[in-house]
Amino acid sequence: MLVFRGLVAEPLLEGADFDYGEYLSGQCLTCHQNSSDEGIPAINGAEALYIAKKLILYKNKELENEVMQLVASALDKDEIASLAIYFNSLEK
Amino acid sequence: MNNLSRRAFVSFALASTSLLAMPAISTGSARPKVVVVGGGAGGATAARYIAKDSKGAIDVTLIEASKQYYTCFYSNLYLGGFREYDSIGHSYDNLSANHGVNVVHDWAISVDSSARKVRLGSGATVSYDRLVLSPGIDIKYDSINGYSVEAQTKMPHAWKSGTQVKVLRDQVLNMPKGGTFAMVPPPNPYRCPPGPYERISMVAHILKERNPTAKIVVVDPKNKFSKQGLFMAGWEKHYPGMVEWIDNDTHGGIKNVNPETMEIETDLDTFKADVACVVPAQRAGAIAMNAGVTDGDWSPIIPASMQTKADSNIYVLGDASVASSMPKSGFSANSQAKVAANHIRGELTGSKVFAAKFSNTCWSLVATNDGIKVGANYKAGEEKIEAVEKFVSKTDEDNAKRKKTYEESIGWYNGITTDMFS
Repeated sequence: MLVFRGLVAEPLLEGADFDYGEYLSGQCLTCHQNSSDEGIPAINGAEALYIAKKLILYKNKELENEVMQLVASALDKDEIASLAIYFNSLEK
Repeated sequence: MNNLSRRAFVSFALASTSLLAMPAISTGSARPKVVVVGGGAGGATAARYIAKDSKGAIDVTLIEASKQYYTCFYSNLYLGGFREYDSIGHSYDNLSANHGVNVVHDWAISVDSSARKVRLGSGATVSYDRLVLSPGIDIKYDSINGYSVEAQTKMPHAWKSGTQVKVLRDQVLNMPKGGTFAMVPPPNPYRCPPGPYERISMVAHILKERNPTAKIVVVDPKNKFSKQGLFMAGWEKHYPGMVEWIDNDTHGGIKNVNPETMEIETDLDTFKADVACVVPAQRAGAIAMNAGVTDGDWSPIIPASMQTKADSNIYVLGDASVASSMPKSGFSANSQAKVAANHIRGELTGSKVFAAKFSNTCWSLVATNDGIKVGANYKAGEEKIEAVEKFVSKTDEDNAKRKKTYEESIGWYNGITTDMFS
């Protein structure tokens, strides 16, 4: 939890809710697992800010991939922040 | 657990120790109990998420007859020679070892919803506070004249993965030179909408290499199908002249199949095949019918939770449910399982219940390194699960993009099977 406290000063992660991130992550974990590596990147333990920025780029359709654009389009800023801190907490 | 359900649970727990004639499977705990029937993409995911996220606060029992589960998704890739059979098989060992799920390898025979008990093939009963049914499909053998349980060795449906897909692959590999492969896809609604057409692609892939003068005839009870433009363009590109698709309006309806003569009779013509894959109409797995939570062939659900409309203690996931606009797919079942798991935890432990969000993507392989996909995300409407946004691959994509889509599907396979079984 200390790690999140350190990060919430970052505006992109301000609205983060760990429990909500855990629930939302179910949608991501169908594809993103440490075992998926080839074809779909493993994101467990990635930097929270990195995940949030990537999701925003997909949401804005500045990164290509239909599935990710679709997923990100349905997420608001707080949901992106929640997912980012949750995935950051998972073991690589 | 709220007071009402705790009282109900305690009174049933007492009754079960003194009154039941048949042995009851019990872990001896006073934790709320969830029983999950069916260890596929819906059931295995639900059991794992309820056990994992409740951190031991909920006693989870998974009833699944098979010790080794062969995924339906990617069984076409085994058929086409892109996967080894063993690579689509998975065990339930980790669900017990890592999450404490009590895995019982047996058939669920019946549900007594007023007593909240499931009776197993062994005669034992298992009590529940919440029941999750994810039984997949049953084949309606009598939906095609001439088809039967016995006919399936001659004309396999191979629509439940496992040994029938092996039988079908052997038949295709041993087909006479220049012979005919016939496919009868199922009518809507059915498990895996693009599946029959990926199967045709995989058979064409084998025949192109081993038996290039062979033909494929598709006698479809429908007039259109999933990713139709993409599949038909792919067949023309990779297997020119090999695949003939005949829609229902053209052949006028399938009148009869004859597994002895290997003939498929329609109004238009009688098609004689050397190898035939005949996939009849489908319905919810028998236990959903038995539990009294179906209306017609499928089980209507409340979109926000996946609870059945008939019984709020019983949830139905995946193919057996009426989850339109979501297709009947493994991805859909996995997605629905997480919504149900979150709701069940909330009901039994008081954890926060978040709004339902669903998603699905169906990848299909048309030829080596030629992958296509269709997907959508969904929200719970009042009456149905409503699509929010959708996408589908485009016909003019370059080879690099198609290869990447195929590689993405391999990542998805590894991901979802980890999500179900780890």
